[in-house]
Amino acid sequence: MSKVVKAKYTADAVAGFTPRTAMEEAARCLLCVDAPCSKGCPAGTDPGKFIRSIRFRNVKGAAETIRENNVLGGCCARVCPYDRLCEEACSRCGIDRPIEIGKLQRFAIEQEKAFKMKTLTAPAKKKSAKAACVGSGPASLACAAKLAQVGYQVTIFEAAEKAGGVLTYGITPARLPQHVVDFDIKAVKDLGVKFVFDTKVGVDITIDELKQAGFKAIFIGAGLWNAKIPEIPGNGLKGVTNAIDFLKAARESKGTFDPGKKVVVIGGGDVAMDCATTAKLLGAENVMIYYRRTLEEAPANMNEIQYATSLGVTITTNFAPKEMIGNKKVEFAVFKGRDGVSEAKVAADTVVFAIGQAPEDLTKIAPVKVTEKGTISANASGKTNAAGIYAAGDAVNGGKTVVEAVAAGKEAAAEIIVYLEKKEGVK
Amino acid sequence: MAVKKDLSINYLGVNCENPFFLSSSPVGGCYDMVKKAYEAGWGGVFFKTVGIFVADECSPRFDQTNKEGLPWLGFKNMEQISDKPTEKNFEFMYRLKRDYPDKVLVATIMGSSDDEWKQLAKMCDQAGADLIEGNFSCPQMTSHAMGSDVGSTPELVKQYCKAVTSVTKTPFIAKMTPNVTNMILPARAAIEGGAAGISAINTIKSITNIDFENMTAMPVVDGKSSISGYSGAAVRPVALRFAAQMLQDEILKNVPISGIGGIETWKDALEFLVLGCRNVQVTTAIMQYGYRIVEDMISGVSHFMDERGYDKVDDFIGKALGNIIPAEELNRDYKVLPNFDHKKCIGCGRCYISCYDAAHQAIDWDEKKRRPNLNDECVGCHLCLNVCPVQGCITSGEIKWKEGRKPAEIALKHNFE
Repeated sequence: MSKVVKAKYTADAVAGFTPRTAMEEAARCLLCVDAPCSKGCPAGTDPGKFIRSIRFRNVKGAAETIRENNVLGGCCARVCPYDRLCEEACSRCGIDRPIEIGKLQRFAIEQEKAFKMKTLTAPAKKKSAKAACVGSGPASLACAAKLAQVGYQVTIFEAAEKAGGVLTYGITPARLPQHVVDFDIKAVKDLGVKFVFDTKVGVDITIDELKQAGFKAIFIGAGLWNAKIPEIPGNGLKGVTNAIDFLKAARESKGTFDPGKKVVVIGGGDVAMDCATTAKLLGAENVMIYYRRTLEEAPANMNEIQYATSLGVTITTNFAPKEMIGNKKVEFAVFKGRDGVSEAKVAADTVVFAIGQAPEDLTKIAPVKVTEKGTISANASGKTNAAGIYAAGDAVNGGKTVVEAVAAGKEAAAEIIVYLEKKEGVK
Repeated sequence: MAVKKDLSINYLGVNCENPFFLSSSPVGGCYDMVKKAYEAGWGGVFFKTVGIFVADECSPRFDQTNKEGLPWLGFKNMEQISDKPTEKNFEFMYRLKRDYPDKVLVATIMGSSDDEWKQLAKMCDQAGADLIEGNFSCPQMTSHAMGSDVGSTPELVKQYCKAVTSVTKTPFIAKMTPNVTNMILPARAAIEGGAAGISAINTIKSITNIDFENMTAMPVVDGKSSISGYSGAAVRPVALRFAAQMLQDEILKNVPISGIGGIETWKDALEFLVLGCRNVQVTTAIMQYGYRIVEDMISGVSHFMDERGYDKVDDFIGKALGNIIPAEELNRDYKVLPNFDHKKCIGCGRCYISCYDAAHQAIDWDEKKRRPNLNDECVGCHLCLNVCPVQGCITSGEIKWKEGRKPAEIALKHNFE
């Protein structure tokens, strides 16, 4: 009999290190001359340096390295696709298996909290210019932190009632507990960054009003909050939902949300895996993932696929949704095979579409040029066509990882600093 | 921002930006090496020992000991003093001092006669060295007129210190060999001879491993090997002991001591400093990991100072020395029973095995639950705590006072790593 993992919705999926086990793992590190792990991190978190600090018993120094390079070091430690970034680059792979870099990062950040360290600081004397960030997801938080660290007065405008964006509303807490998100956000708040909640820029306040209020540079990190549901029969039935709404409902209910006994998740990315594990952890008996392509083509991280299957979730590939059947409420999901002849009819209480997310109408926020997909046209440093307006993260790249959003947010902050110094004469 | 503290310290009248030095060894033997070390953050170097004698080296010349997968527990070195021409070494030192005036340069020398020692000391001054160290301690010299054979003979140490200090005003440091039972005697002799400081320890004479293929020791040089110096993490406890003994000696207590032996981390360095050493020297860890390890020494000690509220290194130098006391003065009125956390316990039974086979049969093994239970035989030795693989599982528990002894406030250790 296969041993299927039974876990609670809010329980950590993986246990962390103790100082002793962290040291054992750090001692496995080969301390390479050119640290390919460090080159493998988009946000420049520098694992080569922080692992060396742990190895040489300087765990506070390790926490400093992480936090200074990546303000969301705690979140990234939990959700980064290590197996295709730093850990894939690890030289130790040539001997046996890579260093568990993510877990060491998590350990260092846990120690930062335990020691009540105050790693990031902002100068007491503020610069004359104010900057605004739209959205409080990874890109905005990273951008705001960088600006605040050099003395800019930054305000983040968030449409929801809580900060974090996708971190707070889009990932299952077994992978990313809320306290980890809150601790990273506290690091941003402690820099003096102001948060304005329940305020959607473009609806509750306009970009012109922000400019009039003295914001000299505006960063848009609005993310992707339009769920895609294909135009197929039955897509409006009760019980047919999308990943954004499903994960948010689960998260807000703190795990009391009941998805029914049979849950079908459609998609092949990390978000689909998150929906499936969430359904399972919420108590669904039978959780099935259907994906239109093969596993090799699936964008999901192998760790996430393995975690989902360890909970007893099944994955059926090469089947695309054809129609949803039911009387007001969904009863069956019907799929057609990629081979053109196969067909599957599956009983379901809930069907979750996790087939990608699109931006809302971003031109409502600001007069920026958008792509065919609706994402903002911005260069690698976040510059848009509109003067003083910058953008990065999922709203630009169409949906990538948290660590890439952090990297892009940092880049944009550097560009904003140059802009404010040159154009606005801020010193 | 990263915590930064003032780590500067005065050592024999020389201001050092931090107390972290390279020891006189293969890690600081030419201009480029020392330049890289300085730029990595080391406060200063003890340049590789220079003599009139130029070494003729064997190959290979290193070996290491390990235990359960952990390499470099100890390290064996057969290399002698510099194999470069004497003048070349002093030229390196001259250029280093010229290019890095704020970094500390100590010239380490070794002669085989009064005249050689004097000649070398004069060359140190010409090169502009801040300080001079006399190597009385290398245990693998091919000449018995040099190295640890000299260092274990107090009269010779005194004689050569006199020779050096008769020709230079630059403070002179005598580097001690641990291949003696009592280091205080050669150290006192050095001070009597005019030395201003002591470095300790050099390497311990050793045979690290026997090679059964050639039936000799390691490393194998044409089917043979020699006894030579042992260093690295394994020797740190021996080094700490010698340092503490000298620092507690009536005559030596105010002599600046430079601590050497198995230092890899900021904690290792801090151990020497809180015993009273004014700086530390490192080689073996650099041979294994490179100069970059100084970054975490600087950062780690800075965090320690930040945590404890110290503004300068002098504030904590020697803090632990007074608490190292003779065995007969220890409080023997009580025992601390171990406390077993059955929830953290994973049921390996290692505590039970060690207690039965090596201590006092004070642990009963619950075979059903696979958990240890303490019985009345416990003497509070804490062997169990030392073998337990789970952090925080076995800790200090109840204090039992011996019959007729008066209970009082006592200081215990609570946090074990």
